Amino acid sequence: MYYAGIDIGSLTAEAVIVKDGKVVAARIMNVFPNPVDSAREVMGRALKSAGIGAGDISSAISTGYGRDQVQAAGMAQENVSEISCHGYGAFCVDPSVRTVIDIGGQDAKVIKMDGSGKLMNFVMNDKCAAGTGHFLEVMSRTLGVGLEELGPLALESKKPVLMSNRCTIYVETEVIHYLQRGVSRKDVAAGISRAMAERVVALARRVRPEPKVMLTGGVAKNTAVRAELEKILGARMERPSLDPQLIGAYGAAMLAAKGAAS
Amino acid sequence: MKMKMPTGLFDKLSSQLLVIELLPRPVLKVVGPLLVPLKIMPEDGRSAAKALMAPHVRDASIEFLKMAAEWMLAAKRARKRGEKVILVPFNFPSELIHAFTKARPLTSEVLTTLGVSALPGQGEDYWNVAMGLGLPDHLCSANTIELGSILSGDDLKPDAIIQSAPGGCDVNSKIHEFVAHYLDIPQFFLQKPTDDSGRGREWYGKYMKSLVAQLEEFLGEKLDEGRLRAVMEKANRCTELYYELWDLQKAVPSPVPNLFSLLIYGTRFTMWGTDAAVRTMEAMVKIGKERLAKREYPAPAEVARCLWAYTSYYYDFFGFFNWMEDKGYSHLGDGLDLFFPKLVDTASMDSMLEGIAEAAWNMPMTRQVGGESMSGSWTEDVVHAVKELGADCVIYCGHHSCKQTWSVASILRSELQKRTGTPMLMLQGDSWIKNMTPMSVLQEQIEEFISNVVAKKDGKKRKIRRRKKADGAEQSAEAEMA
Amino acid sequence: MDEIRKLSGALETDHVRKWKAGGGKVLGYTCIATPVELVAAAGVLPYRVRALGSAQTEIADAHLSRFNCSFCRSCLQLGLDGSYDFLDGMIETNGCDHLRGMIENWKYAKGFGFFHYLRVPQIVDKDSFAFFVDELKLMRRAMSDFIGAEVDDDAVRAEIERQERIRGKLRRLYSIRERERPGLTGAEALEVFLAATASTTDVFEAELDRIIREREGHEVPAPRARLVLGGSATDEVDFVREIEDVGGLVVTDMLCFGSRAFWTRELPQQGSPEEDLARLYLGNQICPRMFDEFHKRRDFIFSAVERARADGVVLVHNKFCDIHGVDNVQLRMALEKKGVPVLQLEKEYGARADLGRIRTRVQAFLERIGDAK
Repeated sequence: MYYAGIDIGSLTAEAVIVKDGKVVAARIMNVFPNPVDSAREVMGRALKSAGIGAGDISSAISTGYGRDQVQAAGMAQENVSEISCHGYGAFCVDPSVRTVIDIGGQDAKVIKMDGSGKLMNFVMNDKCAAGTGHFLEVMSRTLGVGLEELGPLALESKKPVLMSNRCTIYVETEVIHYLQRGVSRKDVAAGISRAMAERVVALARRVRPEPKVMLTGGVAKNTAVRAELEKILGARMERPSLDPQLIGAYGAAMLAAKGAAS
Repeated sequence: MKMKMPTGLFDKLSSQLLVIELLPRPVLKVVGPLLVPLKIMPEDGRSAAKALMAPHVRDASIEFLKMAAEWMLAAKRARKRGEKVILVPFNFPSELIHAFTKARPLTSEVLTTLGVSALPGQGEDYWNVAMGLGLPDHLCSANTIELGSILSGDDLKPDAIIQSAPGGCDVNSKIHEFVAHYLDIPQFFLQKPTDDSGRGREWYGKYMKSLVAQLEEFLGEKLDEGRLRAVMEKANRCTELYYELWDLQKAVPSPVPNLFSLLIYGTRFTMWGTDAAVRTMEAMVKIGKERLAKREYPAPAEVARCLWAYTSYYYDFFGFFNWMEDKGYSHLGDGLDLFFPKLVDTASMDSMLEGIAEAAWNMPMTRQVGGESMSGSWTEDVVHAVKELGADCVIYCGHHSCKQTWSVASILRSELQKRTGTPMLMLQGDSWIKNMTPMSVLQEQIEEFISNVVAKKDGKKRKIRRRKKADGAEQSAEAEMA
Repeated sequence: MDEIRKLSGALETDHVRKWKAGGGKVLGYTCIATPVELVAAAGVLPYRVRALGSAQTEIADAHLSRFNCSFCRSCLQLGLDGSYDFLDGMIETNGCDHLRGMIENWKYAKGFGFFHYLRVPQIVDKDSFAFFVDELKLMRRAMSDFIGAEVDDDAVRAEIERQERIRGKLRRLYSIRERERPGLTGAEALEVFLAATASTTDVFEAELDRIIREREGHEVPAPRARLVLGGSATDEVDFVREIEDVGGLVVTDMLCFGSRAFWTRELPQQGSPEEDLARLYLGNQICPRMFDEFHKRRDFIFSAVERARADGVVLVHNKFCDIHGVDNVQLRMALEKKGVPVLQLEKEYGARADLGRIRTRVQAFLERIGDAK
């Protein structure tokens, strides 16, 4: 039996199809303005990749900002919050995970689970850009590097600068000042990574993270931010064996499977 | 996993102040200025060290630091001596506690200010402890930094808390209440009736007497009239010195260094009524008088005389107080200086307790935004200070969590303009946490305001005013200042 | 609910217009510490100031700041744009710093026809009780001056009795809410309460009787979870509806636009009317502005959870509301210690954009407590 998870966020959409607990297809794309159109497109791509039709899906769960509309359009039988989906998805990847730090393009969340993958506590930041992917986008633009280059560049630094501000706008000004003073881009990139990690940890503190910790979401691909988080929290961040951006949709698909099983 | 808890603010600070306590003054005078170049101070503390050890304030700063050392170390040693440590907010007259032999006061906001100015990390770790408990980020860093340190469990735990902010400040009251509950320690209350009719003041006197009775029971000590008298006489001396400084501030250019605005209320909120406080105030008056006589001023000209309407900024003393001085912007004091102490009649226990009630009624914040009309009381005080001290402008620091002043700052600005023609700049930031608004941004805004609004407003040359001394004689003016 | 909505769904309702057209006066008040009996005994309609969930604040923001509670800013907006021009005056209480600021700015920018400041202690002991009795005497004097006639003891006692009767009926309505198969939703209960704050006692009581009769035998659809809602002042019916839309039925509350205004009451002991009112009000302020009384609030919410067999508690505070922002943390800790799941939320008053965020969090909370059931 095939089960599907559709995650429609504010920047990207993901679809994952599972069978017998294994991922048979997964697709990521940038969203269209209409969440239902995004869901149709990304799900279509995943179905094509899996070589099956929509009718082969026994049940689907939608999640993310567009979850209500996707369910209302008949593309999912149920909608579940991205918090539960990310938590469960991480747990299915590695049942020893107890805390998930998910940093997306526009929000960040920290999720705590118990030993059965049950959601225990969570905290979200979806108001302030600092500590989200948007922060890194702005800084990489200011630094004049691609977003995917930011992490490797930062890791080259032996002397990260100190960003003394909290707000994205002021950090941007600080970056410009450092560059004007001739500070190397790698040292500034390292400072940015550190500032990002500090914002995330400030959020995480509210739920008292416990090991193991898994980092998910697009920002999980930034090796420097990951390294800084590991340093501050004093623990290794588990890397999911699945693309970290797919964890939400994967969790939704696994919940759909779990729901059918019960 | 280690979610690292910081070692306590009080513990760290008191260790540093141990050195201050041990070193004689002449040694401190020599060693002090070397703290920064020899990198003895942690980087985060260098701004404060530079400001405190600047030559024109050094003697007073040393007295202040000696006083702070005495204040904190007394609390540190209290338990061994069988004394209790009572945590108070800044708007409580701690001379009452000094009058007990079995109690030592500590003031939340002063501890925060010292911690922010001297310790690595500038107190942010302790703020994070509070945030980690789920407390909202719109709390006031003034007390939440120190209280965060207490909540971490890794710092001096007070034996009781006096709550004197109900009626004057919700946020101050609630965070202290939270800490008292969290630590399971008693609270003693002194609520402010928001009533200026005279009735409120009468009730306040009753509340104060009731508080004293409760403290006596808690400490197992009857307040001794003789001891209280000794403390109040010294408090009276501090009061006289306060007004000497107030008078000195009226001179043009101001001979009172900017930093003294902070040191005055740092003294008020901690050791008022003690010999150390008298020495600190005397040192400040001495410097003020000397500078007046020598016509010393840190900049080529006094460009602007600025009254700060409420708090100042404390995370970068040098970047704030000294930067302003270098620019010729005199800091004439801020709202926390506006406590207008009165001489206390020391004839009897009753008259002294009335005097303490009067002092509490007039403590900053209580007096202004604990008034029946927040805007009314605050405006009266600011207008009075503007007129008396000859301020050219008023600057409202805009500390983000100060809800009461923020709620009526627009009224103050409007009234100031109507009644005195004085412009008011409204900044936004956090007085104790640097990364809300960086000092460079604040400096830019201050400079723009003064250059474009204040200086332009009055293109005339500034005359040095004839200043009436305390004894009625006139100090003659000589040169004109641009 | 149509009649209830007519009484609560606008500021100047037909009822208020009719009252005024008949020569009736209306006085605004902001806080449940205000003894409405003294106002009603003077034949004046006491009207609790609120903002109908409106998030518009551009006029208010020129007076209050962005660091002040958005509920107060929204109310001030309506005060300054003329929406509250039907008020003949205002009774201020020192409910919280934001409310005080709101009233001062309203007074400064526009003024009030009649104004009285009732000072309410924040700690209750024999001294502050005596102070408050004096305050109520002053308020009664002010009301007498306002109407140009003595507000006598009999009128006050009659009003105390009337209000107690209404409170009893509101508790009755809440029992219909809290029972195993609730007869009304949280959003509906809030609308009923709002009607109480905006209409004369006789009109409201008739509607209340009707609602009780209608809902006695009614059942709302079974929810996913039963919730207690507590926190900052809110009259945002849409907000409660949003919570209920994702499956969390708000079966009872700890709100000042709600049970805190009418729940626990010590019966008057027949001293002077002011002494009885002081006891009624000061002795029953379930509000985080009161100090040395956290145990009362904690016990209040514990018994609400028990009584309503709640699956969880949602504690909300409006951003910058320090008294609830801090108290909610203490309450959360106490509830979690007892094994009651809690969702703590911070929000802006009336912001439609916030509803999406709230929905996600509430849904996740329901998923969490749903798993536990």
